[in-house]
Amino acid sequence: MYGWIWHRLPGGTGARLAVMVLLAAATGLLMWYVVYPWASIHLPLDQSGLG
Amino acid sequence: MRGCVRSYLRVSGEILISLGVVVLGFMAYMYWGTAVREGSAQRTFVAELGHQWGSAGPSLAVLANPARLALGQPFALIRIPRLGSSWKFAIVQGTGLPQLALGPGHVPGSALPGQVGNFAVAGHRVTAGNPFWSLPSLRAGDLVYVETVAGTYEYRVIGKPDQVPADDTAMMSPVPGHPGEQPHQRLITLITCNPPWTGTSRIIVTGLLVATLPRDQGIEG
Repeated sequence: MYGWIWHRLPGGTGARLAVMVLLAAATGLLMWYVVYPWASIHLPLDQSGLG
Repeated sequence: MRGCVRSYLRVSGEILISLGVVVLGFMAYMYWGTAVREGSAQRTFVAELGHQWGSAGPSLAVLANPARLALGQPFALIRIPRLGSSWKFAIVQGTGLPQLALGPGHVPGSALPGQVGNFAVAGHRVTAGNPFWSLPSLRAGDLVYVETVAGTYEYRVIGKPDQVPADDTAMMSPVPGHPGEQPHQRLITLITCNPPWTGTSRIIVTGLLVATLPRDQGIEG
């Protein structure tokens, strides 16, 4: 999977590495600010919710 | 053929490791991220309440008619000196997960602060700033202050923290444990999860109103 992405990136090793790091950072930010906040409220965890 | 199997294995391994990282990230978010979100919501709420109470009009009308309290709307401050002098939270209306993510929530339909009946407040034991983490450490005689635009209500904890099954809603009724009975006392019931991280049972702490003070009093100590 990561190899597949790596081979499709343009440029030399340095440029590819930079793009991979950026992709990872973007995914992390998306998770932290969008996906996790949504999941923390909608997943049935820690059900203090009393209806 | 062998190369094919190998690449399947590699890709599924990469996916599984990535999922593991995602789950670890989610745990980190539940622990730290929810506290950050709750903290910023609480700062906004406290500022909002201070501003509203400065100009008494609309917030008094809301307290006179609980139906006008919107879900997620802050309307009171709670302080419990036993839990530390800096322990203070804005109470929001509603106890769904979206509301509890922002602070302790008032059980809709239960009494308002200072009223005859049972003012029921639920809060997370862990996540969202762990507001009720130390609830089980409260003891009979501890004071709980609830401040609204109308005044500060001083409740005194009666009995020890009690543990009830998660589906027991009778402790939230106007006369705790006796749904349908006519209340005469002015009570507060604080509710949180036990054991932490689970929803198997609840810890509840009950207090009785002992004094009504002008706002901004009775908070030291």
